[in-house]
Amino acid sequence: MESNVDLSCSLPGECPALSPTALIWQDVLAQAMTGELVAAMNYTALAGICDDPAEMADALEHAQGERGHAAAFASEGRRIGVPVPSNVEAKHWKRLREAFMRRIAERDFIGCLIVQEIMLESFAVASYARVGRVGPGSLGKTFAAIATEEEKHIEHAMAILRAERDLDTPRFDDKVRQLHFEVMTTLAEMLARECVHGHCEVCYGSCVKPSLFGISLSAAELRGASLQQYLRTLDKLGLPGEVTLAWVTQLPV
Amino acid sequence: MGNSVASVDERETADTRGRIGDVDFALIGHQESWRAAADVLSVLRGHEHMPLPEDEIKDILPWIPPRAVCHVEVGSEVGAKARGIYIDSFIPPDCLDSASLRDNLARVRGAAQCAIKAGAKIVSLGGFSSILIEGNFDLLSEKHDTVFTTGNTLTVAFIVRGIKKMCALEGRDLRRSTLLIVGATGDVGSGCARCLAPLVKRVLLCARNVERLRKLAEEFRSEGIEVEVATDSDQAGSQQFSATADLVICAASLPSPGFRLRGIAPGAVVCDAGYPKNLAPSAELPDAKVFFGGLGQITGGMKFTPDFRGILNRHPFPDVVHGCLLEGMALALERRFEPFSRGRGFITPERVEEMETIAALHGIHLAPLYNGDGPVECVHAASEKQY
Repeated sequence: MESNVDLSCSLPGECPALSPTALIWQDVLAQAMTGELVAAMNYTALAGICDDPAEMADALEHAQGERGHAAAFASEGRRIGVPVPSNVEAKHWKRLREAFMRRIAERDFIGCLIVQEIMLESFAVASYARVGRVGPGSLGKTFAAIATEEEKHIEHAMAILRAERDLDTPRFDDKVRQLHFEVMTTLAEMLARECVHGHCEVCYGSCVKPSLFGISLSAAELRGASLQQYLRTLDKLGLPGEVTLAWVTQLPV
Repeated sequence: MGNSVASVDERETADTRGRIGDVDFALIGHQESWRAAADVLSVLRGHEHMPLPEDEIKDILPWIPPRAVCHVEVGSEVGAKARGIYIDSFIPPDCLDSASLRDNLARVRGAAQCAIKAGAKIVSLGGFSSILIEGNFDLLSEKHDTVFTTGNTLTVAFIVRGIKKMCALEGRDLRRSTLLIVGATGDVGSGCARCLAPLVKRVLLCARNVERLRKLAEEFRSEGIEVEVATDSDQAGSQQFSATADLVICAASLPSPGFRLRGIAPGAVVCDAGYPKNLAPSAELPDAKVFFGGLGQITGGMKFTPDFRGILNRHPFPDVVHGCLLEGMALALERRFEPFSRGRGFITPERVEEMETIAALHGIHLAPLYNGDGPVECVHAASEKQY
């Protein structure tokens, strides 16, 4: 795993006076930073298919913003004395990235927004908000602040997506359904209470999920909050609640 | 989880986005047990998928925001039809106690917003939902054309009719009976009291709120009805009541551990109409004739899409539904989109008769009586044959 952000310590053991939860936070930060870097790459790719210069500028601005978030997470790691590794090639993140890039290859701007803004950002907003509540001091504030910023991204995309849905509702809903099973299946596996398919390739050592209780979190809570945020976002788009609930119940656990 | 689970964006409520088509009625409910919740999720998940493990369901369900789960179409014996939706508030089955009141209220409000957003003309509040909102309709958004009914009037109608039927089956004379109502000051309990008090010899009222009990008793005394009261905490009084009564209606909004039904008179007729059920399945009531009250049966046809038959209505007979939900369907079939049951303490014999007439016109009648052991009437018929 290589780090994309400059780190002050190379290994967690090299920093003196680590708090007992520092290594848990290291993995939480690593997951968040990897997600931000994938998002930055996604927005950069999106800029490449934008015909409208304003949309292109927006996408590039978002990419820059996501890189800033990644840097903020790395900085929080330094503050508590741990390096924050990232791995955009980790198996789940790679699959998510590939799904996004398939939309790019098709020059499917709306598909890209659905994947990034509705699915990946729902996960980010919900999980960052939960982490923000329990994170100590500056670390918690950083997560909470980034959750708020990511929520604004979603709002920005909602107007575009609503207008698109109004043009052809059945077609739009079918596209969301297809992307749901392609993307959310991977996210659901990431969010499962246990990583039953092996190491996620982002956690520094063993899987962090069983240790989350040490920072007053649980994998079940992060999954629940993420799926709730996702359902609520789809509600706001206007998709029928009974349909989206059926989709969610069909995800792997 | 906090209120966030149930919140619905107000802007969404105001526009027509997400409307499901013509929705005459919406039914708001929740599941009483984890088994029932698992069955609901299993239908949504589809039979081609393995059912979710129970521990996963317990982890996931509390996070599901209130939402429509299925479409419901009902028919009437006079040819009327009505379309509706069932909205589950997804109150976790083990959170029906007062400790979860705030979150549950938020969930019911969220479910109500879903009904408004869907454009429902009338909404019936099933089970715990009506108890939570009873007397607090101002908790619901006012900016809409949707009306809400607790459905309690039809529930009372079916409880009263069930008591009368059971008495007839058991050869009891109502006029010689002592009636005990547990949860007597609630909307359903007081409605039952008003309907049955003039028909029995003596009325015993039991509830938690002393002041409401006193007022209700005064109302009956002024009509020349013999009445006594006891609070749940009055162990001696309530035990004496249970030993004296030969008709008992349990209509408390919470399981009533403070009230000792163990000492109930042998052979007493007991109607469990509480929600959640007031009598634990393990309750030992030797020789008591127990039945579940407040249930009706729709004879003009009822279709769920997806097919939730026997899952949303888990009864040993087809097309049996709680009276509170049937009230919304009956009013929709009658095209009377009005808040028929609203607030607490307004259920009178006249209103009950009016609602029962509307329901009967559309083929909605008292359901066959049953209890935790199965149908009561078949058991009764069998025992009759023995004699």
